Amino acid sequence: MSAVQARAARAAIPSLAVRARDVLASEWIKFRSVRSTYWTLLIAAVTGAGGSGVVAFSMAHARGGAPPFDPVAMIFVGWLEYPVLAVGILGVLAFTSEYGSGQIRTTFTAVPRRPAVLAAKVAVAGAVTLAFGEFLSFAAFLLSQAIRSGDRQALSLSAPGALRAVLAAGFCLSLIAVGGLGLGAIIRHTAGAVVALPAVLYLPLVVLSLPQPWGERIGRFTLLAAAGQLVSAHPRPGLLPEPLSLLVAVAWPLAALLAAAVLLTRRDA
Amino acid sequence: MIEVSQLSKRFGAVTAVDGLSFAVRPGHVTGFLGPNGAGKTTTMRLILGLDVPTSGTALVGGRRYRQIVRPLREVGALLDATAVHAGRTARDHLLSLARSNGIGPRRVTEMLRLTGLDAVAGKRAGGFSLGMKQRLGIAAALLGDPPVLMFDEPVNGLDPEGVHWIRDLFKALAAEGRTVFVSSHLMSEMALTADRLVIIGRGRLIADTTVARLTEAGGDVLVRSPQAAGLRGLLTGRGATVMEVPNDGGLSVRGMDAPGIGELAARHGIALHELTPRRSSLEEAYLNITGDSVQYRAEPAGTGARRDSSAKAGEGAR
Repeated sequence: MSAVQARAARAAIPSLAVRARDVLASEWIKFRSVRSTYWTLLIAAVTGAGGSGVVAFSMAHARGGAPPFDPVAMIFVGWLEYPVLAVGILGVLAFTSEYGSGQIRTTFTAVPRRPAVLAAKVAVAGAVTLAFGEFLSFAAFLLSQAIRSGDRQALSLSAPGALRAVLAAGFCLSLIAVGGLGLGAIIRHTAGAVVALPAVLYLPLVVLSLPQPWGERIGRFTLLAAAGQLVSAHPRPGLLPEPLSLLVAVAWPLAALLAAAVLLTRRDA
Repeated sequence: MIEVSQLSKRFGAVTAVDGLSFAVRPGHVTGFLGPNGAGKTTTMRLILGLDVPTSGTALVGGRRYRQIVRPLREVGALLDATAVHAGRTARDHLLSLARSNGIGPRRVTEMLRLTGLDAVAGKRAGGFSLGMKQRLGIAAALLGDPPVLMFDEPVNGLDPEGVHWIRDLFKALAAEGRTVFVSSHLMSEMALTADRLVIIGRGRLIADTTVARLTEAGGDVLVRSPQAAGLRGLLTGRGATVMEVPNDGGLSVRGMDAPGIGELAARHGIALHELTPRRSSLEEAYLNITGDSVQYRAEPAGTGARRDSSAKAGEGAR
C-alpha cells in the first residue's frame, strides 16, 4: 500500500547467524562503553597482581615453619577476595545496571528474545574476563617467580601441574564473572546482587569447617573449593579430582544462567 | 497497524487493563488518552511484549511483538525517556541499539542530527536534561525507519520549541503513511496533534472516536426565549434533555439540533431570542466522558466544579 509498508515487506528475514552476530556486537558496544567495565577490571588487576606479589614476597622471606600446602595455589590465595569480587561485580552489573536505569526495557524492545540477550552478555563478559583472567594469572605467576627468584623453592611453568593451575586461575575468574552475570539477572538490583555475590561465594565455604571427613565431603562441591583444587599444582586428596572439580566449578554458574534464562522470559520487564 | 483485542493485565488484585479492544490505523496520529493510572503505559508495554498479558492479544502488523525479527525496523517506541544507562554516551546508546537490529552507524548519525543532538552525541546521557533525553528516545524510536511508532507522554519535559517540533514530526510521520500512536493525559495536547482518539479509563475502553466526532457529541444548543417554560415542556416531550443555564435564563438543549428546535418553536408560536449550536471544547468533552473513571481525584475546588458524566461514559467505566 504505502511506500513504508512496501519497504517493510521487501526486507528479508536475516539468518540466525546474522542475528546472533548483531546482538553480540550490540552487547559488545554496551560493554565497552561504560566506565564500570574498566574500573572493575582495573581493581581486579591491581588487587590480583598485588595480592600474588605480597604472598610471593612473604614466601621468599619465610624462615622455617611448615612449607606452603601448594606453591602455585598459594599465589592465587589472595584472589579469593578482591579479584573474585571485582569480576563478579562486573558480571552482576551487566544486568543490574540495565534494570536500575530502565535501559533493560529498551534492550528487550530491541531484542525481544531475552535468552539471546543473556547469551550475548555471557559471551562478551565471559570472553573478555577469560582473556583478562589468563593475562592476569600468567602475569601474577611470573611476578611471583621474579620475586622468589633467589628462593630454592621457586617454581617455573614447566613444573608438574603448574601450567594447568595457572590456566585454571584465569578460567575461574571468568566463571565467576559469568556466575555474577546470572545472579544479576536473577536479582535485578545492583545493591542486592552485590551483597548476594559474596554470600553465595563465601558462605558455602563454612561447611568446610564441619567435623572431618564431612567438611570436605560436602565442601568439595562448593564453587570456591572446586576452583581452589583447580588452581593447585598438587591436588588435595580430600577434594574432588580435577575433572570433577572442573565440572562442579562450571555447574554453579551454569545453574545461575539457566535460572536467569527462565526468569528473564517469565517476568515482566 | 496495531490491533488490541480483549487485552487484560492483572497485577495481583489490581486490574490495570481490563478487556481492552481497539485498532490503531496507519496514516493518522492516534491519541491514547486517559486519566493518570488509566492503564495507558501498561497497554503500551503489553503491545511491546515487555509485559505478558493475563489474557487477550496485542498485535503489531499482524504479529505478536515478541515474534518480530529485528523489531526496531517494524515498531519504534519511546516509553520512558529516562530509561537510558547514565554512563553511556548518546552515540554509543544509539549504536548499540542500531547494531542489535542490523542498522548501520550512518543512520545513527542521521538521527542524532534530526533530533538536534549531534553536538552532544559524545556526552554521557546521565547529564542530559529531560528534554534532551526525550530527543534521544525519539532518535532511538526512529532508528529503524519503522512503519509503526508509539510514544508515551512524549511532550513531557520538552520546551515550547521542542513541543512544536514534535507535533510537526508526528504529523509528518503520519502523512508518510505510518501508524503513530501517542499517549497523553492532556486533551489539549492531543487536540493539536491527533485526529483519532482512543480514550480509556480504569483499563477499559471509553471511546474510540475522532476528534471531530467527540467535540460534536459533547455539544449542545443554547436557546433563549421569553416563553422558556413552555418551550422546555415541548422539548422534553420530544426526548431532548433540557437544563437551565445557571443565573442566565437560557436553556441548554441536548439531543435535538438547532433547526429542529427552531421549527418546533415556530410551529407552536414560541418566539426565540437566541438559538446557538455550541461545540464543547475537546477538553470539556474529555472530562465529561472520563469523569467517572478518574482513579485519583482531587476534591472539587469550589461549587460547580464537579461534572456530570454523560450517559455514554456509563458503559465505559463503573
